[in-house]
Amino acid sequence: MKKILIANRGEIAVRIGRACREMGISPVAVYSECDRTALHVRLADEAYAIGGSAPRDSYLRIDRILEAAKKSGADAVHPGYGFLAEQASFARAVEDAGLTFIGPTPDAIAVMGNKTAARAAAVRARVPVVPGTPDPVPPAIADSQLQEIARSIGYPVLVKAVAGGGGKGMRTVLHPEDLVGAVRAARSEADAAFGDAAVYLERRLTRPRHIEVQLLGDQFGTVLPFVERECSIQRRHQKVVEETPSAAVTPALRQSLAAAAATVARAVGYTNAGTVEFLVEPGGEFFFLEMNTRLQVEHPITEMVTGIDLVQWQIRIARGERLDLDPDALLTPRGHAIECRIYAEDPDNHFLPSPGRILVLRAPAGPGIRDDSGVTAGFDVPIFYDPMLSKLVAWAEDRPRAIARARRALGEYVVGGIKTTLPFFAWLLDQPEFAAGRFHTTYLDELLASPDRKPFAQPGPGIEDAAVMAAALQAMMAPDVPPLFGAASGRWKDRARLEGVEGLAARAVRR
Amino acid sequence: MQYDVETGGRVRHVAVTRTGDGFAVSVDGRLHQVDLARVDAHTLSLIVDSRPGPFGPGSVYEATTAPETDGRLVVTIGTVPVTLRLNGRRGGRRQGGAAPGSGPLRITAPMPGKVVRVLVKAGDAVLARQPVVVVEAMKMENEVRADRDGTVAEIHTRDGMSVEAGALLMIIQ
Repeated sequence: MKKILIANRGEIAVRIGRACREMGISPVAVYSECDRTALHVRLADEAYAIGGSAPRDSYLRIDRILEAAKKSGADAVHPGYGFLAEQASFARAVEDAGLTFIGPTPDAIAVMGNKTAARAAAVRARVPVVPGTPDPVPPAIADSQLQEIARSIGYPVLVKAVAGGGGKGMRTVLHPEDLVGAVRAARSEADAAFGDAAVYLERRLTRPRHIEVQLLGDQFGTVLPFVERECSIQRRHQKVVEETPSAAVTPALRQSLAAAAATVARAVGYTNAGTVEFLVEPGGEFFFLEMNTRLQVEHPITEMVTGIDLVQWQIRIARGERLDLDPDALLTPRGHAIECRIYAEDPDNHFLPSPGRILVLRAPAGPGIRDDSGVTAGFDVPIFYDPMLSKLVAWAEDRPRAIARARRALGEYVVGGIKTTLPFFAWLLDQPEFAAGRFHTTYLDELLASPDRKPFAQPGPGIEDAAVMAAALQAMMAPDVPPLFGAASGRWKDRARLEGVEGLAARAVRR
Repeated sequence: MQYDVETGGRVRHVAVTRTGDGFAVSVDGRLHQVDLARVDAHTLSLIVDSRPGPFGPGSVYEATTAPETDGRLVVTIGTVPVTLRLNGRRGGRRQGGAAPGSGPLRITAPMPGKVVRVLVKAGDAVLARQPVVVVEAMKMENEVRADRDGTVAEIHTRDGMSVEAGALLMIIQ
């Protein structure tokens, strides 16, 4: 493998490109109209424009991505996560074009991407699944029959899209009278989001934790599970903070989860990187939830506690190498790692996206800190994609020290020009329940629902006075205080200057 | 230079004066000595009250200022964003008043203190940014400067006089 086309954008495209370069492989980027100046493009050796800014015009265009791969002479395609990563048709199209798809086989993607088929695979492998319907609910089912099924599963019931993900096409039903409407709503949402209206029913567990097992499988039948990741800190079914190991997992439970995950993966002949998700009840009873047939957003925390480069292993497995890692070492975490997903969202305004130009960006550094970012100062965060800017990962010897280190790094992180979730994370990491590891998948939503919520960051008198002084000083001095760190340099800053970032800001400040 | 800064539902009165090696900044009459360095186009490093003397701890702040679309500013210090609105300067180039460079210019005291020296006399020609009065406050001498070229028309203070913040010191024509 000499050249890999990365069919993605943002931080994950940057992450994969770095792995390529470290392995002596040339990274090839693709980009949409609004991503011309994105970091993943600037760091690549070659880049190909594949269309308009809307995902359906570019990052979801299999034809154009394959055309770019052909033009570049790439040997392989890495899909990243999101976009086409879990579309079996994409993996198949890549293989049909004579290229290597860096991921599982199209068949494994197809089976595990279908939630009822994945549940059936887990059942066959004798791994417990959450009680629910084994097949999709028939579209023409009578209301009375639907009620009967829900009653036999037991309320509260979750209506879930067979093709679902990220909370789309999902409804919680607490009372029988809401069931029919919820099924209808989930169907239409699933149809719009995934082009597949099929839904099934599942019991909603009470306050479970979301625990998942990363695994790697090679082409010779070896499947190795890793120490678990906990992703219970979620906002509306979206993961916000992930950590490893879980504060709720004993060594015995770790072995059981790992064995269950590996069994499911082996049952479908799984290869490359994947993740089996479980819900774990307070007593330690666990249920298979689903399998993600791709690299996860939160993979860096596993890398931090095991020292394994998962992206490099994806590439090594794809080019036919044997997985010769020590299985015990993968289940023995060294220290603790926490990831915060930094989003361009305004936490004080219902987490609404906050696109726009990043005027200032200073990422934290120092011991145990890893910042997987996809943006730089001067970049316009587009409105078209997931607004994640970066994943801030803190590693330390143990959980309290990892939290303290993450808290320290958040304080160093400066993003000016757009709103971010940084103040929210500083608040969250200070919560006593978080420090104690006492949470579950609805903990954060319950906490945020509190009616007397104050802004996440409350300036003390010292900070407010300093901000007031800084505003006045900036307005007065902006043009004639010489820069502390010398003249701006580099083509990126030049571009910013060309486009008048500084002038724009100075005008606005003086308004 | 004086500003009204609206934040947290109230208006803070800020007066800024250059001193020899920094700035004297009063916020609602409370005077601070600020050692200022610019980090980049949007970021200032402030060390407030760092010099020996009767001031508080030498607190370090790194403040990033970015405009909101509605004309407000967000000044972020650490993880704390402070949204504020900076209103027209007073005692200087008035917005909406006479055009810069014409009309009388009122020089006022940026903070309460004692006038140590009046550096000009009526009829003197002054240049923009030329020091015209030295006001001592909290053991610090602060130069009050002319905001533009002109001629000293009236002087309303004298050496040794105690003044309140905003007191008229002189008028430049």
